[in-house]
Amino acid sequence: MITTQDLTKTFTDRKRGAVQAVDGVSLACQASEVFGVLGPNGAGKTTLLRMLGTILQPTSGTAQVAGYDIGTQGQQVRANIGYLSGTTAPYDRLTPREMLAYFGALYGMGSALVADRTREVFDDLDMHEFADRRCERLSTGQRQRVNIARAVLHRPPLLFLDEPTAGLDVLASRTVMRFIRKCRDAGRTVVFSTHIMSEVEGICDRIAVIHRGRLAAMGSLGELRERAGGGSFEQVFLRLIGEEETG
Amino acid sequence: MLKAEGRMPSVEDSRRRSRAAIVFTKEFREVFRDRRTIIGVVISPLLITPLLFLILGTFIAGEAKKMEKETMSVGVVNANLAPSVMKAIGKPPSLAFERVQADRAESLIKSRKLRAALVLPTDAEKRLAAHRAVRVQVMLDAGNEKSNAAAARLRAAVTTAGAGLIQVRLKRLDLPSDFATPFDIKEAPIKTGTGRGTLIVAGMLPYLLALSCFSSGIYAANDTVAGEKERGTLETLLVSPASRREIVLGKFLAVAALCCVGSVLSVVGMSIPFFSGLKAFDWIARGGMHLTAAGIGVTLLMQIPLAVLFAGMLMIVSTFARNQKEAQTYLGPMMIAIIVPAMMSMVMGAEAPRAMAAVPVLNASLIIKQALTGSTDPAFLVLALAASVLYAGIAVAICTRLFDRENVLLRT
Repeated sequence: MITTQDLTKTFTDRKRGAVQAVDGVSLACQASEVFGVLGPNGAGKTTLLRMLGTILQPTSGTAQVAGYDIGTQGQQVRANIGYLSGTTAPYDRLTPREMLAYFGALYGMGSALVADRTREVFDDLDMHEFADRRCERLSTGQRQRVNIARAVLHRPPLLFLDEPTAGLDVLASRTVMRFIRKCRDAGRTVVFSTHIMSEVEGICDRIAVIHRGRLAAMGSLGELRERAGGGSFEQVFLRLIGEEETG
Repeated sequence: MLKAEGRMPSVEDSRRRSRAAIVFTKEFREVFRDRRTIIGVVISPLLITPLLFLILGTFIAGEAKKMEKETMSVGVVNANLAPSVMKAIGKPPSLAFERVQADRAESLIKSRKLRAALVLPTDAEKRLAAHRAVRVQVMLDAGNEKSNAAAARLRAAVTTAGAGLIQVRLKRLDLPSDFATPFDIKEAPIKTGTGRGTLIVAGMLPYLLALSCFSSGIYAANDTVAGEKERGTLETLLVSPASRREIVLGKFLAVAALCCVGSVLSVVGMSIPFFSGLKAFDWIARGGMHLTAAGIGVTLLMQIPLAVLFAGMLMIVSTFARNQKEAQTYLGPMMIAIIVPAMMSMVMGAEAPRAMAAVPVLNASLIIKQALTGSTDPAFLVLALAASVLYAGIAVAICTRLFDRENVLLRT
């Protein structure tokens, strides 16, 4: 579903000069798997996912997403993915129903199809109660459900979730995690980035560990544990990025 | 339960309706849900001109009435040396004469104890008896409205007295009363609507219209890009199948449409005093001001490229800024850049050199001024339209380029 070859992104910072946010990352994600992208803050996870979502152009390297090249077929890539991050928000002055109608139209769906899918998504996420209330009046959890609904409305085969629980309370985080499990059960491919070990541990089929822009390790949880010599997942992670506590 | 992927809408499907049009419709609809838009784009432009005219009219009429009723104290220097002159002048209504010394007249006018002074020469009696011209001086404070009014009354009183003396002399000589008036001149102003009042209004309205057009787009522009960056909704849009160009075009059109709405409503507001027939606006017609359908048409025509240019400028600022607060900071100097050329049209005559058609904002203001004073120069209009469209195009091109730069678009 996703393959990347030497994907690199360099930003120019006035103070720090050239900053390599993603440095030659090559990875592969199979269809129907929940693929975790794990790394500390500033590791390059968001930049990697933004490149795969064609929000950012890579400085060098290539990637295929859902069979399309991110450099030359950006529009097709975007039509085949759903993207949700912890920082994205719904439009305050629109209702959830209007928000889905807007994005449905952008995805080229006819109004009848949008209405059908909206009903299904509202059923799935239990959103009928606040479907016609402006998003500015919704709770954090309800707003996150609107974001999820927007990301899956067009039934993309591939979902990118960039730290989707960042800044959420326990209840709202549970909504997101439940949603990822539902996606996995429905056979959808999910790329899920986080810095929270417990989130990865319980849900991901395979994990890519990113540190300082580089791919530090990739494999199933068992493979990573074996490679790092066992222990808790936190210890495994620290060993993989070469930051294991001493003493 | 979530469904597995179904029919994927293809890129071709999306072409059924332009994505730029989808973005435009959403932006335009959404921004009108904000009270600030209703006030800034609808209520304010509709009311600002009629209110201004109402206040101006009430103030001007009140001041004129007050001045008309007021008896003004006027000094006369050497009155004791010219009793015949004083007798000829008599006691004109609304002027109260006070005899003053020559050296005090000026200080009394400065301290506004006297509004003006009539300085008679010491040989006034002798010259009058010899039928020679008596050189009188009217002393006034030129920077003071009331002093000017008193001086005008003095001039009128002395002129009337002079005319009376001539009639006496002619009668004595048994000559006809118009003997000393070889030409009887009467002005016959043609109806162009270019009365003094029209000139004031024609100078002021383009400035108001330009400001109204610009300010109508401020909130929408700030909200649509800088606001979206701030709220985190822009990323969502960037990851949709809409291209950056489609997004920027849709947003730009929404801001331009709002500027146009603000402009059109400003013109509607501007027309209210002319066509409402309300008594409060009578003074406009009395002042010789007219607004023709052609004038309104040209004004509206010129507002479109102006709206497009302003929308482009506002979108550049909004795209460049990290958030709405930063955008507001940049808008301060930009507002000055709009106000200065708009204000220049207030002092510049409608028949400005054609090179002025190339100056953005000023060209539109001058066209509107020409339309209001009935002196539209077609060549100037075409040049101004072409220049405005060119500048608007440049602004849109810059904005589109900025939208392609991820270091600008994604900085927060």
